[in-house]
Amino acid sequence: MAHQATRLVLRYRLGQRLVHWIHTVAFFILLITGLALIWPPLSFLAAGGLSRLLHRVAGVVFLLTPVLYALMDFRGLRDLVRDSFTYTRRDLEWLKGFPGYFLGRTSHLPPQGRINAGQKIHHALTIISYFAISGSGLLLWLAKGSLGPTGLLITTIVHDLSMAVMAVLTVGHIYFTLVYDALPAMTTGYVTEGYARMEHRLWLESLPQEPPYVIETRGIEMQEAVPESSSTPMGEKAAG
Amino acid sequence: MAQMAMLIDTSRCLGCQACVIACKAGRELLPEERWVEIREVVIGRFPELRGAFIPHRCFHCRNAPCVQVCPTGALYKQDGLTLVNFDRCSGCGYCVEVCPFGVPKIIDGRVSKCPSCIDLFQMGQEPWCLQTCPADVMVCGPREKLLAEARARVAALRERYPNAQIYGDTQMGGLAIFLILTEPPEVLGLPPQPQVPPLAIWKNGVQPLSLGALVLSVVTSGIAFFIARRRHLEEKNGAIQVSEVLSSSPDTEGESSSSHDTKGE
Repeated sequence: MAHQATRLVLRYRLGQRLVHWIHTVAFFILLITGLALIWPPLSFLAAGGLSRLLHRVAGVVFLLTPVLYALMDFRGLRDLVRDSFTYTRRDLEWLKGFPGYFLGRTSHLPPQGRINAGQKIHHALTIISYFAISGSGLLLWLAKGSLGPTGLLITTIVHDLSMAVMAVLTVGHIYFTLVYDALPAMTTGYVTEGYARMEHRLWLESLPQEPPYVIETRGIEMQEAVPESSSTPMGEKAAG
Repeated sequence: MAQMAMLIDTSRCLGCQACVIACKAGRELLPEERWVEIREVVIGRFPELRGAFIPHRCFHCRNAPCVQVCPTGALYKQDGLTLVNFDRCSGCGYCVEVCPFGVPKIIDGRVSKCPSCIDLFQMGQEPWCLQTCPADVMVCGPREKLLAEARARVAALRERYPNAQIYGDTQMGGLAIFLILTEPPEVLGLPPQPQVPPLAIWKNGVQPLSLGALVLSVVTSGIAFFIARRRHLEEKNGAIQVSEVLSSSPDTEGESSSSHDTKGE
């Protein structure tokens, strides 16, 4: 079994992966330097003005990520927007089954396309908070001195709440990545065919079954997990 | 230490600016910094001119908006005064936005405002501005005693200045540095009843809420991960078994969908 060929499916091209990780680095710099103003143990970062400089540099990178994406892989950006905002009846069914998905099960869910219903919600919230956090951030940066007390209060509240939404979304993003072994999609760019079938069956079926979309490799990733489960009775799995 | 207070009786002020210079020299301020300024206000038309010298400086509000918005705790209340830990200041300028008197400034990347001469108080001395004043405009002491003194002075001043009044007994919850004015505050360029929005809901409401949501999501995910991971591996390995069984059969066409449909039942 260890010598069996594994079929891998191309999920993200190089440009998409680069944009993702640039965005990731900018996001975490922003999060940590921003938390320095909320969480007292981190406030030493803010004292010398270092965190402010970092926050602004990372803020510009963060703000320009969609532009960078468009320059590096316009098709990727276009597909992302299109697929994220195409809702079908299946999405509603999927969302009804979300609690089960949260706890590790996919078999009860209707088959999904390239972007599942949870990701669609995630993307919509991300886009809303992207504009909220960027707009309020630019105001705090560039309109300093003319906001007044009420302006400052509203702007900082919008900035903080959109930060909270993004941070919680990010926790969820990392959580599902780790639960469902999705990380290779953003490192090598390829996911196993098993993963693609479980999570994005309609997408897998729509792909040409040939390189570079689907490749064969003598991998061992999938085999590693098998011994644990070979004893699992079929009935138990179906019940879950 | 008790609640520190200072009374500034503007009816006595000569406008000599000695306090401005004493503060600047005593506190070793930067060339562009001033923690005390004296502004001359002229009212009426010649020849019926009236006027006053009004201090423009931190009045150390009891409900200090600058303290409520300071993200790093560089501004803080102690003994009724609004003190500054300059090393903690990030220079964000939020205090500049919210001060109803327009007092704090950001100079050389950090806040610039009177942090009080608390070090001199602690050595039993008085602030630089008070020490140098040639006209006894300022008095330091316990707030209640000074308020009583101020009321007596205002009563006496009313004969000459009918609009004489105390400023800072109620404003912003009470100013630690309060004034005796000879004219109504609005005439002298001071807000009669300065108002700020409920700034505390940001630091005491929105920020804990945001941090709480973040921490809660991390904890929930951390716990759920172990359950979800086990269940996912069960399901995934089950799926492999099914597809292996099916791939060994001659019908490879309907492989993926049939395996899924069986599981979905």
